[in-house]
Amino acid sequence: MLKYIGKRLLLFIPTILIISVVIFFIIQLPPGDYASSYAAAMAAEGEILTPEQIQDLRVQFGLDKPWYVQYFIWMTDIITKGDFGYSFEYGRDVWAVIGDYLPLTLAISFIILVFQYAVSLPIGIYCANHQYSVGDYIWSFIGFIGTATPNFLLAIIVMYVIYVKTGGMYLGLFSTEMLQNGMRLEYIPEFLGRCLIPIFVIGTSGTCGIIRTVRAQMLDEQARQYTLTARAKGCSEATITYKYCLRAALNPVVSGLSGALRTIFSGSTVSAIVMNMAILGPVLLKALKSQDMYLAGTIVLVQAILVVVGTLLSDIALAWLDPRIRFSERS
Amino acid sequence: MKNMKQWIALVLALVLCLGTMAACAAAPAPTTPTETEAPVETTAPAETTAPVEEEMVFTEAPFLTAAGTYGKVEDRLPVADDVMIESVDAAGNALEIGVYGGELKRSAGGGNWDAGKPIEEGLFRFNTSGTVEPNVAKGYDVSDDYTVYTIYLREGMKWSDGEPFTAEDCVWFYNAVCLNKVDGKGVRSCHKDANGDPAVVEKVDDTTFTVTFGTPKYDFVEALTVDLKWHYAPKHVFEKMVDLVIESKGMEDGDAKTAKEAEALAAAQEICGVEFSDIGKAGKEMLYYFWNYPGIPTLNPFVLSNEEGKNSIKGEYYEFVRNPYYWKVDAKGQQLPYMDKIVYTTVQNETQTLMLLLDGTVDYQTIAVQDAPTVLDAETTSGTKINLYQWAPTYWGSGEYQLHLNLGIADEQKNALFNNPDFRQALSIAVDRVEMAATLTNNWNEPGQAAPQEGALGYSEEWANQWTEYDPAKAQTLLESAGLTKGSDGFYAFADGTKFELNIVSVADSGAGTTYEFLKKYFNAVGINCNFNDYDRSVVDNDLMAGSIECMLFPVTPIGDISIALKPNSMIPGSATNVAWYGTMNEETATGDLKTLIDLKQKLDETGDPDARAQIVNDMMALHQKNQWTIGYIAEAPAIHAVNARIHNFPDGLVWSDIYRDMGIAHCQCWFIQE
Repeated sequence: MLKYIGKRLLLFIPTILIISVVIFFIIQLPPGDYASSYAAAMAAEGEILTPEQIQDLRVQFGLDKPWYVQYFIWMTDIITKGDFGYSFEYGRDVWAVIGDYLPLTLAISFIILVFQYAVSLPIGIYCANHQYSVGDYIWSFIGFIGTATPNFLLAIIVMYVIYVKTGGMYLGLFSTEMLQNGMRLEYIPEFLGRCLIPIFVIGTSGTCGIIRTVRAQMLDEQARQYTLTARAKGCSEATITYKYCLRAALNPVVSGLSGALRTIFSGSTVSAIVMNMAILGPVLLKALKSQDMYLAGTIVLVQAILVVVGTLLSDIALAWLDPRIRFSERS
Repeated sequence: MKNMKQWIALVLALVLCLGTMAACAAAPAPTTPTETEAPVETTAPAETTAPVEEEMVFTEAPFLTAAGTYGKVEDRLPVADDVMIESVDAAGNALEIGVYGGELKRSAGGGNWDAGKPIEEGLFRFNTSGTVEPNVAKGYDVSDDYTVYTIYLREGMKWSDGEPFTAEDCVWFYNAVCLNKVDGKGVRSCHKDANGDPAVVEKVDDTTFTVTFGTPKYDFVEALTVDLKWHYAPKHVFEKMVDLVIESKGMEDGDAKTAKEAEALAAAQEICGVEFSDIGKAGKEMLYYFWNYPGIPTLNPFVLSNEEGKNSIKGEYYEFVRNPYYWKVDAKGQQLPYMDKIVYTTVQNETQTLMLLLDGTVDYQTIAVQDAPTVLDAETTSGTKINLYQWAPTYWGSGEYQLHLNLGIADEQKNALFNNPDFRQALSIAVDRVEMAATLTNNWNEPGQAAPQEGALGYSEEWANQWTEYDPAKAQTLLESAGLTKGSDGFYAFADGTKFELNIVSVADSGAGTTYEFLKKYFNAVGINCNFNDYDRSVVDNDLMAGSIECMLFPVTPIGDISIALKPNSMIPGSATNVAWYGTMNEETATGDLKTLIDLKQKLDETGDPDARAQIVNDMMALHQKNQWTIGYIAEAPAIHAVNARIHNFPDGLVWSDIYRDMGIAHCQCWFIQE
C-alpha cells in the first residue's frame, strides 16, 4: 500500500508540470494581454491610455516576452523560491490575494459540502428502502429540480421572492454594518440568515446526483445474496441497511469526493457572483477575463493539484472502505 | 422628465445666445493683465469665491469636535478671504444649507475613478456651461502674448494631514514628478507648446507660481482642467521616494540600480503601507491614483481611511472619511463636507448596485433609463424612496447603436466606398429607426442620428434628424450612385464584379449583437451583404490599433463630447487613441474633409482670438454635420441618477461628462443627509 502511494506521489510531479504548461498556455491563448484589458477597463472609466503607455505596462509586467519565457520564469520562481508571482490587478503577491478570500471560501464550501451529504445520504437511503413510494417520488422530484435548475437562476428567483416578501435584498454574506464594525454577536442571526440562501441554492444542485447514486447502489446491494442471508439470519433491518448495504453503496459516493477538494478551494463561481459572495470563484473568473496571468494560473494550478491529491485520497479511502480493492491491488 | 428636457433646452438656448460656446471652446477670455500685483480672479463667479464678509463665523462638524484633536476650525481653513464658499451648484442654482453627519453608502467594483472623480479637486473646475472656474487655485493671470500664466493659490490652505499646501507642491509636482514621468504619465499635452516642448513651471512665492510656454498657449487653463486637473502632490510626503525613483531611473542596470529601486519601494511602502512590485507601479498608483491609498494627504473633501480593514479599495469594504482641513465652507460658514463618510461595499457585478439601491443599502447610482420604473417602484416594495435626476448626455448618440467605418481601410475599393457620403447616407436611411427604438429600447430611447444631443453644446435639430428618414428605395439609388451594382443574388457588388460584404465587429456583451440583427435585416433588404463578429474588448482594441477592423458597432466610447475644442479625441482623426471612430489615419494619410478637419484643429491651437476660435469650432462641427462620418441610429439617453431621498443638494439638470468628472460636478461635499 505504501509503495503504491509512493508511486502515485512520484507520478504527481510530471502530471502537475504538464498541467501547469497547459494552464499557462490556455490562459494566455486569447488575443490581448493584461495590459490591453487594463487599457480597455481604464477607457471605460474615461482614462484613455496611449499605445506607448500600454507598451510601457507590458514591459513593466514582463508581458513583452513570449509566453513560454514567461512560463519558464514563473515556474523557476515557484520551484526555486516558492514565489508564485504577483497579481497585476491587485498589485500584490498572489498568495496574499488568495489568502484574503480563502478562509471564507473554505468555510462556505465546506458547509455546503456537509449540507449536500447530510441531506442527500438519508434521502437516498429512504428512497431505496421505500422504492416507488410517494416519498421516493417526491424526494426524487425535488432532487431533480435542484439539479435541473441552474444555480444562478435559482439564486435570482430566491432573491426576488425574498425582496418582494421582505423588502430586503440580502445580497452577499455580510451587511454593510458587519463589514464596517466587524462581526458582533448581534449580527450573528442576520449572518446565518444570509448564509441560508447560498447553502440552499448551491447545496441543492449537488444533492440529486448523490441521492440517485445512493439509491441505485442501495437497491443493487439489497438484491444481493449477502443481504438475503443477513435477513434470513435475523439481522435487524437497520443493521442490514447501515452496516452492510450502505457501506457497500458508498463506494461511488466516496470516489466522487475527489472533486470536492477542488470545489472547496474555489467555491462556485457564477452563483457566487449572482449572490455577491466574496470567494475565490469570482476572483478566478475576473483574473481569467483580464488575463491576470499569475493569479489565474496559481488558482487553477492549485485546483489541479487538489484534483490530483483528491483522487489519491479517495483511492485510499476506497481501499480502506472496500477490502476487494486492496486485494486487487496486492494481486 | 419632459419638463427637464425643456428646461435644459431653454438653458442651452440661453447659453448659446450668450456666446458661451465661444467661451467654452475658445481661449479663457482672461482679463487684461493688470499692473498691480493683486491676484485677478479671472473667471470666478461672484458667488463661488466672493471675499468672506467680516462677520462670517466658521463652524465645524460635530464629528471633528468630538475627535477633539484638530484644534480650531478657523486655523484649519485658509485665511478668511481665501476660503472658498459653495453657495450654488454647477448650474448656478442656490444650495440648501445642510446639516452635518451621516454616511453616503455606495457600492463599488474596486475601480479607480469611480471613487476618485466625485471627490477630485482640480486647480480649476468646470461649471455646467463649459466655463472654467477657480477651485484649488483662486485665480490666474495670463500675459498679453499668452505665454506666461500666473496661478494664484489660497493662502493658509492645508493638506488633509494638516501640513501647509503651497506653490512649492505644485511646482515640485511638475518638475520632479511630471518631467521625470514618475507618475507614469509624464508631461501632459496641456503643458506642451506648439512645438511639443514642455512648459517651465516656477515658484514666485508660497501662493503664486508661473507656467511659461515657448509659444503662445491659448487654452492652457481649459486644457489643464481637462488633461491634468490637479497639478499638485504633497512634496513633504513624496520627496524622498520620488528622489530615489529619479536616481534609480538614471542608473545603469545592475545591482546598484536594483538596490536603489528597492530603497524607493521601501519608501513607498512607508507612506501607504502597500508593497508594490516595481517603481513604475508604485509611482503611478501613488502619484496618479493617489486617492486610492491610505496615508497620502489630499485636498479632497474625503480621504481614504487609515484604519485596517477599511483602507483598501481592493477590499470588501472601504471608506473615505471627511478631511478635517477641507478648505470650502457653505454660505453660513459651516466647513464642508456635510457628510462624515462615503462608505463603499464591493459588489461582484455592477448590476447588483441597482438591487442594493432598491432596498436602501446603496444611496446613489447612475441607472439605465429602462430601470427607472423599477427604481420608482421600490417605495411600495421596500419602502425606499428614490428620486431621479436627469442630466444631459454628451455623447452623440448611444454607443451600441453607432456604426463607425474604417475610413483609412487598406482595401482600395472599400476605402473609396466608405469615404463616399452617399454610401454612408444609404447605410443610414436603409434602417427603420422608429421600429428599432420601439423594439430594442421599448421606446425608452428615441430614434436619432450621431449628433450633439438636445441639451448639449452644438445641438441642432436639423443635424439630429439628418439622414434619419426610412427610405430603402433612395438608399438603393445612393448605393448605385456610389458605384455598386446589384448582382443576380440580390446583393450589391463592386463595379468590377468583386463581391461586397460589410464586416461589422463589436465588443462582446455590449448589446451590439441585438442591434446587428436589426441592421442585418434592413441592410440585406436593400442588398447590402454583411456579417458580424464580437470579441472581448481587449481583442477589439488590439485589432483597432492594427487598423484591421472594417466597421465598428459600439466603439470603446461613442463619438462626441462636451466640445470639439475641449476634448476632441473622438471627433478628430489623427491620434492613436481614436482609431475606433475613423480607422488608423493621421494628418499625412487623411484626405478630403478629414484632412481639413485635422488642419482646422491645428489652426484652432494657433488661434487666440475668441471669435476666430468660435468660428473654427463652428467650421469643424459643420464638417461633421456635412459628412456624418459616424452613423447613429438611436439617440443617447440622458444620464439618470437614482438617489435615495435622504440625500439633499443633489443637483438636477447638469451635464454628464468625463471632462466634468462625471459625478464630480455634483460637488458631493455639498450633499447632506436628512432622513
